[in-house]
Amino acid sequence: MITVENLKKEYKLVKRDPGLKGAIKSLFNRKYETKHAVKGINFTIEQGETVGYIGANGAGKSTTIKMLTGILTPTSGKVTVNGLVPYENRQKNAVNIGAVFGQRTQLFWDIPVRESYNLLKHIYEIPEQEYQETVAMFTEVLNLEPLLGIPVRQLSLGQKMRCELAAAFLHRPKVVYLDEPTIGLDIAVKVKIRKFIKEMNQRWGTTVLLTTHDMQDIEEICDRIIIIDGGTILYDGGLEQIKKQFGQQRVIHFELADKEKFVLPAALIGQAAVLPNEEETKVSLSFDHESVKSSFVISEMMSMYEIGDLNIADPKIETIVEELYNKQEKGGEHEKVLANS
Amino acid sequence: MRRYTKLYWEFAKSHMKVMMEYRIDFLIGVASVMLEQFASIFFVKVVFDHIEQINGWSFYEILFIYGIAATGRSIHQIFFDNLWTLGWQYIRPGKLDRLLIRPVNPLFHVVADRLHQDGFGQLIIGLIILGTAIPQLDLVWGAAEIAMLVIMIISSGLIFVAINLFFATFSFWMIDSLPIVWAVFNLSDFARYPLTIYHKGIRMFLTWIIPYGFTAFYPAAYFIDKSGYKEFALWTPVAAIVCCVLAYAFWNRGLKAFASTGS
Repeated sequence: MITVENLKKEYKLVKRDPGLKGAIKSLFNRKYETKHAVKGINFTIEQGETVGYIGANGAGKSTTIKMLTGILTPTSGKVTVNGLVPYENRQKNAVNIGAVFGQRTQLFWDIPVRESYNLLKHIYEIPEQEYQETVAMFTEVLNLEPLLGIPVRQLSLGQKMRCELAAAFLHRPKVVYLDEPTIGLDIAVKVKIRKFIKEMNQRWGTTVLLTTHDMQDIEEICDRIIIIDGGTILYDGGLEQIKKQFGQQRVIHFELADKEKFVLPAALIGQAAVLPNEEETKVSLSFDHESVKSSFVISEMMSMYEIGDLNIADPKIETIVEELYNKQEKGGEHEKVLANS
Repeated sequence: MRRYTKLYWEFAKSHMKVMMEYRIDFLIGVASVMLEQFASIFFVKVVFDHIEQINGWSFYEILFIYGIAATGRSIHQIFFDNLWTLGWQYIRPGKLDRLLIRPVNPLFHVVADRLHQDGFGQLIIGLIILGTAIPQLDLVWGAAEIAMLVIMIISSGLIFVAINLFFATFSFWMIDSLPIVWAVFNLSDFARYPLTIYHKGIRMFLTWIIPYGFTAFYPAAYFIDKSGYKEFALWTPVAAIVCCVLAYAFWNRGLKAFASTGS
């Protein structure tokens, strides 16, 4: 369905000395430096998969998506989507794909939503009957009825994103790229949007590639994640596996009467680490569930301090990912992670 | 081709709906362009109140040249005005990316995205000027002449479009080339007067480098015997086609460059 082979993208950037002097100097004497945005990545995605593509800002996510959609031509390597090379057959490939790009609207700004859909119908040459059915269904699932008559520019962000999502799926594309579809939305809208994406995936077997910073999106929508950092893939595999592999790290938050006096109990030294906690009364301990049990940590703490309250944090995908990023920065554990992927 | 005609019609319909919804904006737009044009014609009129001819050209002959330019420009302004906005509306905010993943020609999409109301003012004024000037010219008008006039006006419009497209395309490399497009466009004012009144260098420039000469003076010269350019004027449609082909080829190059660098 989607195959990516040894995909690379390099940009040439003008190197500038700081300040006005530097700016003037660069007018006459330009020095370029090469930025390796994507450094030779490989993956395959089958029809009907829902894949979370995650990474920190500037990790190379958007660049990859631009190459998958055909907007950017890679420096080297190859992409095929449905047997087509997107950047060579951009318009042909466009028939089979849909996309939501964060806050860049694909609807027509001045005209009512319904008219926007009508134009998209003509752009994608959707048969009338199919179009009517699709719109009727989306209207119900996403509750669009009250919005259809309003010009796009008058919609709130959440309303716009619902309409936007419907537009991306309108021509029943085989693949949909969602670049941060839930950014800046309230929880109610997020839930609705996740439900919609899942439903489309189940109903039509739409392949979904999703980038997001909201790990809840990933947990609810995706069965697989690809983590990219610094232009290389750190992890590619199932959501469950990564939890098992890296989810042994537990965190417990304790509420202490007197935080000032806190020192790590002797029995826990070498077993648990103190995490920075902003709150004045709280102490957070992190430890490996394999080597030390939660009950032991708790009883040690309770024997030494007066504990007002405690809270065991779930092993969230978020903490796992954060850990992976940190390891990458340190460099040390990198190989181990890659070997597991 | 049929598909694009139909698609354009669908785009145009929704633009017209918006225009009708904002009737006041529409009327103000049309009126302001007409006022602007009247002002510059009035200026020419004042000049001619004091002298009879400029370099052998009478007031109505100059008005005729003016009329062709204004009508030709209206084609550009009504249908292709969005080319102005390529840099700041499409490339800078990343909106072009959106168009690139649709199954239509991106240039078509950019052009179809707007139907400019002010252009209608330009069209009305152009037709009024032509209507005033033509009866005063020493010409017999038959079907052939009218057909020729229409061809000339369309060619004039296409040259305006091609030149704008060519310079707007620079936006692919420099994000927004609007200042260049604007500077070049202002040269078209020169072409609204007989090119014979200018120095040879300017004449050559407006004929061979930035061919605005073909937007007004040459097409008009076809109908005015004494101009001495009656035959040369026949090249106008050819010039229009060549300009469009060149500009479109350049646009495609720009698009390719954009695909390798991104915004």
